[in-house]
Amino acid sequence: MPTETATPVIELRHVDKHYGPLHVLQDINLSVAKGEVLVVIGPSGSGKSTMCRTINRLETIDSGEILIEGQLLPQEGKELAALRAKVGMVFQSFNLFAHKTILENVTMGPIEVLHTPKAQAEAEAMELLRRVGVDTQAAKVPAQLSGGQQQRVAIARSLAMHPTAMLFDEPTSALDPEMINEVLEVMVELAQQGMTMVVVTHEMNFARRVANRVVFMADGQIVEQNTPDEFFDHPQSQRAKDFLDSIKGH
Amino acid sequence: MSANVSMRDALYEAPGPKTRRRVAIGTGVSLVLLVALIAFVIRQFYINDQLNPKYWSFFTRWTTWRFLLRGMFGTIKVALMAGVIAMALGLLLMLGRISPNKALSAACHVAIDLFRSLPSLLLIYFFFLVIPKYGIKMPAFWMITVPVALAASGVLAEVFRAGVNAVPKGQTEAAMALGMTHGKITRKIVLPQALKIVIPSLVSQLVVVVKDTTVAYVVSYPDLMQNARVLISNYDALVSMYFVVALIYIAINYATNQFSIYLAHRQGTQVISRTSENPI
Ligand SMILES: Nc1ncnc2c1ncn2[C@@H]1O[C@H](COP(=O)(O)OP(=O)(O)O)[C@@H](O)[C@H]1O
Ligand SMILES: [Mg+2]
Repeated sequence: MPTETATPVIELRHVDKHYGPLHVLQDINLSVAKGEVLVVIGPSGSGKSTMCRTINRLETIDSGEILIEGQLLPQEGKELAALRAKVGMVFQSFNLFAHKTILENVTMGPIEVLHTPKAQAEAEAMELLRRVGVDTQAAKVPAQLSGGQQQRVAIARSLAMHPTAMLFDEPTSALDPEMINEVLEVMVELAQQGMTMVVVTHEMNFARRVANRVVFMADGQIVEQNTPDEFFDHPQSQRAKDFLDSIKGH
Repeated sequence: MSANVSMRDALYEAPGPKTRRRVAIGTGVSLVLLVALIAFVIRQFYINDQLNPKYWSFFTRWTTWRFLLRGMFGTIKVALMAGVIAMALGLLLMLGRISPNKALSAACHVAIDLFRSLPSLLLIYFFFLVIPKYGIKMPAFWMITVPVALAASGVLAEVFRAGVNAVPKGQTEAAMALGMTHGKITRKIVLPQALKIVIPSLVSQLVVVVKDTTVAYVVSYPDLMQNARVLISNYDALVSMYFVVALIYIAINYATNQFSIYLAHRQGTQVISRTSENPI
């Protein structure tokens, strides 16, 4: 495990959140060090997406603190927007801007938020699209691309902001099986280049290959966390054992 | 393939044999009913002596048509101007309503509901009777245009809002995650997609604006209806004149509707041509 002495890139302290009577996040404490790859795993409805989304405040929290590079997450306005720009997010459903071309999707953030000159933004975008292998599709619109291609564009769109960390919420769950690997490959490469990542996923091979730590969530709580090999081979809690049995059964 | 594309494709599903038979029967029945209705109207005209040439002969004169055409252009002028103002105002009201500023949002909400629920005739009386009392003089054109525009702006604001709500939430969330501010997200991501969605209903709403202009006689503005009333009193020909005027209104609104169908169709073909080149 990485040392905890340096300021964590992402830190959650005693985070609580309710949806009406549902206590969806219960006293969540989590810290992600620079360059660390954290895989979040757990049954559906356990609060993984909610936790992921609180980190860039797509969801508000009831109590507790969230810090990005030691800075408290602002509540609103330009400060919040500026902090969000530093944390990339990749969604299960890609969410590419439907009315923009692939190239425009990737240049949108740099041009509108970082005020990068258009020519430079486009050059960088093309380089990123090449990196994720969809540069030949630059002039198309999202609906013309396959799911795997769209998700790789979504990753390039996040990378264009030069984020300090990236959040992935089940990035391969909406994909046909034959497209899962092309997206995971891009993510593995990112991890190996030292990107700080929080990845909600059930892809065990991915976790074993690149994760520094696996966090197991159930019913709004972090039940256990460990290195991937320890967690998958010797889960401690009964809930984790049951869950792993259920996904291995497939 | 994204869900909204396949949903839209479903709207263009080709009818099966059963549906085609039902459509054919429906068309036949409607045609018979239409012919019966026309026969009935002609018979009623005949019984009430409305086919008497004295009620129709003045339609052979150019001056009659010139007067009616002038009225028609008056109607079109008011409808276009009111339509443009209503769209601009409706857009602003909607933007205010969805703004994170609570006070502005509440104010716009009230204005929208007010304009939407007040009959346009009442607004016209307000501009015709109340405003002049405060020494403000408005030409007849504006006394009809402004209230019609206000009434329509409330409805259009809701049309725009429906469009904004139809843009998937993920679009906004992705923009938020990039660090874009509310204003930028609205301008660059939400509005362009929302406007595309509502163009057809926007144009259909113009039909309502055209119909609202028919009360221009209240402020003595020479629109189609007002000029028709002048001709009616000149020639004592109420039924024939209203019959012709009704046809002209139907023609204007038919043209408006065709325009909206054309826009909707162009929209549909855009979606289809985009998806048909799918590389998978
Ligand atoms: N906007 C919402 N309103 C109410 N309940 C919600 C909302 N979003 C999620 N939930 C509930 O919160 C729980 C956790 O959801 P989620 O974080 O999506 O779980 P996971 O990603 O682990 O499947 C679920 O029971 C879900 O139904
Ligand atoms: Mg989830």
